[in-house]
Amino acid sequence: MTSELVLETAGLHKDFGRIHAVDGIDLSIKSGEIYGLIGPNGSGKTTLIRLCLGLLQPTKGSIQLLGKDIPNKAILSNVGYMTQASALYEELTIRENIAFFARMCGSLEQDWIDEAITLVDLPDRAHSLVRTLSGGMRQRTSLACALAHRPRLLMLDEPTVGVDPQLRAIFWSYFRRLADSGVTLIISSHVMDEAERCDRLGFIRQGKVLAEGTSDDLRQRKGSHTLEEAFLRYVSDGDAGGSI
Amino acid sequence: MNLQRISILAGRVMRQVLRDRRTVALIVLAPIIVLSLGTILFRSDPPVIPIGVVNEDQGVSFPSGVSINLGERITDDLAAGDQLQVIALDESEVENLLRDGTVQAAVFFPSDFTTSFLTDHHVALNLSLEGSDPTRSMMISTYLTQTAMKTLAGLAGTGVAMPAASQNDEGETVLPVSLNTNYLYGGEQFDTMDYIAPVYIALLGMFFVFLLACVAFLRERSQGTIERLAATPATRTEIVLGYMLGLGLFGVIQVAVILFFTVWVIGIHYLGSLALLLLIIAIMAIVGVNLGILASAFARTEFQVLQFIPLVVFPQVLLGGTFWAVADMPAFLQPFAYLMPLYYANVALRDVMLKGWGLAEIWPNLAILAGFGILLVILSILMMQREVV
Repeated sequence: MTSELVLETAGLHKDFGRIHAVDGIDLSIKSGEIYGLIGPNGSGKTTLIRLCLGLLQPTKGSIQLLGKDIPNKAILSNVGYMTQASALYEELTIRENIAFFARMCGSLEQDWIDEAITLVDLPDRAHSLVRTLSGGMRQRTSLACALAHRPRLLMLDEPTVGVDPQLRAIFWSYFRRLADSGVTLIISSHVMDEAERCDRLGFIRQGKVLAEGTSDDLRQRKGSHTLEEAFLRYVSDGDAGGSI
Repeated sequence: MNLQRISILAGRVMRQVLRDRRTVALIVLAPIIVLSLGTILFRSDPPVIPIGVVNEDQGVSFPSGVSINLGERITDDLAAGDQLQVIALDESEVENLLRDGTVQAAVFFPSDFTTSFLTDHHVALNLSLEGSDPTRSMMISTYLTQTAMKTLAGLAGTGVAMPAASQNDEGETVLPVSLNTNYLYGGEQFDTMDYIAPVYIALLGMFFVFLLACVAFLRERSQGTIERLAATPATRTEIVLGYMLGLGLFGVIQVAVILFFTVWVIGIHYLGSLALLLLIIAIMAIVGVNLGILASAFARTEFQVLQFIPLVVFPQVLLGGTFWAVADMPAFLQPFAYLMPLYYANVALRDVMLKGWGLAEIWPNLAILAGFGILLVILSILMMQREVV
């Protein structure tokens, strides 16, 4: 057995009325890799993440997360989730928010909470109410909430939106350290320079995976210099292939 | 100042209100519903009060051939009015029937009732009152006194003279009719506030936690934390029960404070067990929390939560037996009363506070109230299916 599969979806579909938000996605994500879900807004990245967590019922298809069929409530204690918009209790402090989510996931480790607070560079604001925080600080608190229980899998939905470049670099070095220690990260983004830092990428558009591979693979296959160019070529080739 | 800008802004404000269709509907419908309900209740015919009469009066026969049975005459006059439903009873039945509510009062005419009137020129009526509703007690006493006065006036022509009101030594007017009243529950010292206070307690116990839960759950949705919570191992049932425990505790503490204030500061009479009161209130708080969670699913903004107040609170107060006994309501409204959790809390709290009843007597109402609680818990859990699998 080589590296085990952390997430596996087969023929995954999710329809909202007549809209096919996820339209036949097969993913295989291995333990310890950073997988980037790259695509424009509205391409189905968030729906895909929510399906994988069991927050939505798929129209068709199956999902295996950490070896368990989804939905499975218990397995979520091994998963960290960061929503696109920061989701925090305004009346609680940063530390209280982080401790709440960690405890709900079954972790009572105080050190892990402090470590998460240090990571997102908020130790001196740990006892500030979320209500008083700036957008960037909320985003950082949100990230800390996702990882204070030391999950085996992190699902991060646009984690670096509203984070300044310096902190973004810190985030990414931490993501890498986590991956090296065996944590799997699934990160959605519409920013291509972030995509470069992922081990593997899936280009997502209109609920489908256009292409999958390392960033080098994806560039070379289309003979492009940048990922952005490669993405646009995949889109135009896909459209051409689709019509007639 | 620019008129155009003012009117553009006014237009935008109106557009926003109109877009919220529920608000528009409520602006029109809520007052109509509340007013109609109030009108129906205020204008409904005065209730017919069932009272028992134990007539052992032997009457008196005069040598002239005229015989008078004063007990019978008063009974007939009571029955002739449309305010009372007179039921002839045996003395042994009185207490049980008062207790189970078949009659709300009983008048007792002893065997020498007419005889002693002829010697004393004074009628002393023995009245037993159920007594938990002071307004009702007052009404019955007054009506009985008036009827007896009328009966005495009707004696003219029978050769027995109607005694006039006389004055006693202190110069006070003494009517020829007096009441010896005894109360099954309560007594003369009970006033309307004693009757209403249990309702306040029940309503407040439910209302504030209802608002608290409704707003808290709405925030959970609007700030997105429900989504985060859904991505933890927490199940729907755990979330609902957690809210119930957290907010319900506040509800109970709050009502405990109100209870102690009403009993020791306002001086409300209270007879039964404190533990039982707290139990009723705790169930009411559970009802409130879950009603709040349910209602929050139908509100998008905190403003829409405010709109639930007339919908949730007014019908409960009007129909829940607060001011109008359910049995006195028009028949078509009564089924609605039995749908109001507040009704059962009202009855149970009054039974405990005014009558001193225990669990053995109030358990049916308590069970129904608990049933409402359980039903609402289940509905809340089902309602969360949208967010939490």
